[in-house]
Amino acid sequence: MKIAVCCKAAPGAVTDVKIAPGGKALHYQSEFQVMNECDEYALEEAIALKRAYGGEVTVLTMGSITTQDILYLALAKGADRAVRIDVQLQDSQAASAVLAAALKKLEYDLVLTGTQSRDTLSGVVGIAIAERLEIPYAFAVTQVEADGDKAIKVRKELGGGRYADVRLSLPALLCVQTGIQPLTYVPPARMLRARQQAVRALSLGDLVAEEQIVPRGYRFLDVFPPERIGQAQFLEGNAREVAATLLAKIKEVL
Amino acid sequence: MSCDILVITEHWKGRVDAITYQMLAKGRQLADSMGVGLTAVVVGHQLGVVVEALKVKGMDTLLIIDDPALEQAGAEVQAHVIADAALRIDPSLVLIGYSLVGMEMAPAIATRLGVPAMTNCVNVEILGGELVVTRPLFDGTVHAKIALEGRGPALVAIQRGATPMVQLPAKAASVQAVTVDVQAIPTRSKVLEVIEESVSEVDIAKAEVLVAVGRGIGDKEKISIIEELAESLGGLMACSRPLVDLGWLSRERQVGASGKSVAPKVYIACGISGASQHLSGMSDSRLIVAINKDPNAPIFQVAHYGVVADLFELVPALTEEAKKVKRKVAS
Repeated sequence: MKIAVCCKAAPGAVTDVKIAPGGKALHYQSEFQVMNECDEYALEEAIALKRAYGGEVTVLTMGSITTQDILYLALAKGADRAVRIDVQLQDSQAASAVLAAALKKLEYDLVLTGTQSRDTLSGVVGIAIAERLEIPYAFAVTQVEADGDKAIKVRKELGGGRYADVRLSLPALLCVQTGIQPLTYVPPARMLRARQQAVRALSLGDLVAEEQIVPRGYRFLDVFPPERIGQAQFLEGNAREVAATLLAKIKEVL
Repeated sequence: MSCDILVITEHWKGRVDAITYQMLAKGRQLADSMGVGLTAVVVGHQLGVVVEALKVKGMDTLLIIDDPALEQAGAEVQAHVIADAALRIDPSLVLIGYSLVGMEMAPAIATRLGVPAMTNCVNVEILGGELVVTRPLFDGTVHAKIALEGRGPALVAIQRGATPMVQLPAKAASVQAVTVDVQAIPTRSKVLEVIEESVSEVDIAKAEVLVAVGRGIGDKEKISIIEELAESLGGLMACSRPLVDLGWLSRERQVGASGKSVAPKVYIACGISGASQHLSGMSDSRLIVAINKDPNAPIFQVAHYGVVADLFELVPALTEEAKKVKRKVAS
C-alpha cells in the first residue's frame, strides 16, 4: 500500500497574537514548532499499515526550511520519503488546494491526516483535500484494515458512543482519530541518521497559481483572550484553606 | 438569489440531534435580523418522524431529500446531495453543527460550494452590518472575531452548546421534497454497519459528582489520588480524551464530543486544559471547579471556581476535607 501522510508543523506555545495588515492572516511569536499531535497519530497509523501490508510511506508538510525537523522525525519513525512544500499558509482552503496539487504529483493508495491542527483548530484541510482529489473519505477513524487490494474497511466515530464501519474504495483519504496507535519514542541516534536523508522540496509555482491561495471572503477583526463564560472565581491560599472553601461550595449544591 | 439561511440537520434513528435545534435557533435569530428566510435540509431515508419533529421548529421551508440509497451512502454522497440542494437555493449562510458528523461534512460542502468554511465557531452574529464569527485558535488560548465579507456566502459550523437554545416559534414550515438522482453520484464508500456502544458498568452520565482527570496528572500511577477524591465525595472518576488515548483509562469514563455528555451537580476538572471537544461535553454541569497549573487554560472559561495550583497538593487536601466532613456527619 502506498501511503501519503500530511503532517503539519504547528507552533508550540504562542504569544503576542496580532492581526497582519490587510486582516487576512495572524502574526504571532512562537519559540518552537512541533509535529501537530493529531497528525503524528496519522503517521503512526501509516507506519503500522506499512508493517501489516507492505508498501511505502511518504510524508508531506508545508512550510519554510525550519519545518524540516518534523520531516526528519517522520523519517526516523519509519517513513520512507519526505516532501516539503516551500510555502507558509494559514488559510485552510488554500492549504488543501496546495496539498491536493502536491498529492497529484505522487502515487498513493491512501492519504492519512489528523483531525485538527492545534493552531487553527479548524479540521478542514483533510476532507477538503479529498473533495479536491475526488476520492472518498472518512473522519475520526479509529481502525483501518485492508479489504482486498482495492478497498479498505474502517471504523469511524460518530459521537455519543456510536461508530460506523465503512468500506471505501482506494484511493481514499482518512482523518485518523487520536489514540489510533501509541506514539513511539525516537532515540536520538535514529534522529541523527534521519537527518542524513534527502527531503524533496516543491515550490508553490510547481503546484498552484498564486491566486488560488489568496484567502477569500473573510477578514480578521479582533483577537483577544477568551471571555470567561462561567465568570470563574479564583481561589487563593494554601491547599488546606482552598480545599475547605471548595468543599463548602460543593456541599451547597449536593 | 434567495439569500436564505440554510441549516443542515443531523438525525439518528428518528431523533433529531439537539445540535440541530441549536443551529435552528441561531438561524432563526439571524434570518429575522437580516430579513431573509430560514430553510433547513434533511437527508436520509424514511424520514417521516424526523420531518414531523423538525417542521414545527421555526423554519420557513424544510427541504427533504429521501432516497433508499442515502441510508448506506458514504459521507461524500451525503455532502454531494446537500451541496446540490444548497446550490439550488443559493443561501447567504450555511449553518451546521460542529459535531463529528458535521466535522466530516462541513469541509466537503464548503469546498463543493466554493465558499469559506468557518468551523469550530462559538458564535455567529451581526456586527456593524456584517456577519461575524467568533472562534478559538491556538489550543483555545485566543479567540478571534472574523468578518464574513459581503455577508457571505459562507459555511459556519458551531460547537455543541456554544450558543443558547431558545424557544423556537411554533410555525409550520412549508415542506418540499427535493428529488436528487442519487444513483448518478459516484458511490465510492458505503456504510456497512452502525455500532452503538453497549451500556457499561460505569455510567458517568448518571453520577451526581464527577472528578475528571486530564493529561496534567502526568503519570498513570498517580490517578489513584483522583479516584480517592471521587470516592470521598460519593462520585465517579471521569477523564478527558488524552488519558483514553494513552490507554490509562477506559473509554466509558471519557467526557466530551467523542465520549459522553455529562451534566452532574458537581464537576471537578483536575489537570484538564479544556479543549473545545471536552468543554462541549460538560459545560452544562451545575457547579464546575477547575484545578490547573496554567492560568490561561480554557477550562477556566467555563468554571465557576478556579484554582491555579499543583494537583498533587490540592487534590489530597480536598479528599482529606471531604473525609473530615463525612466523619462529622457520621458522628
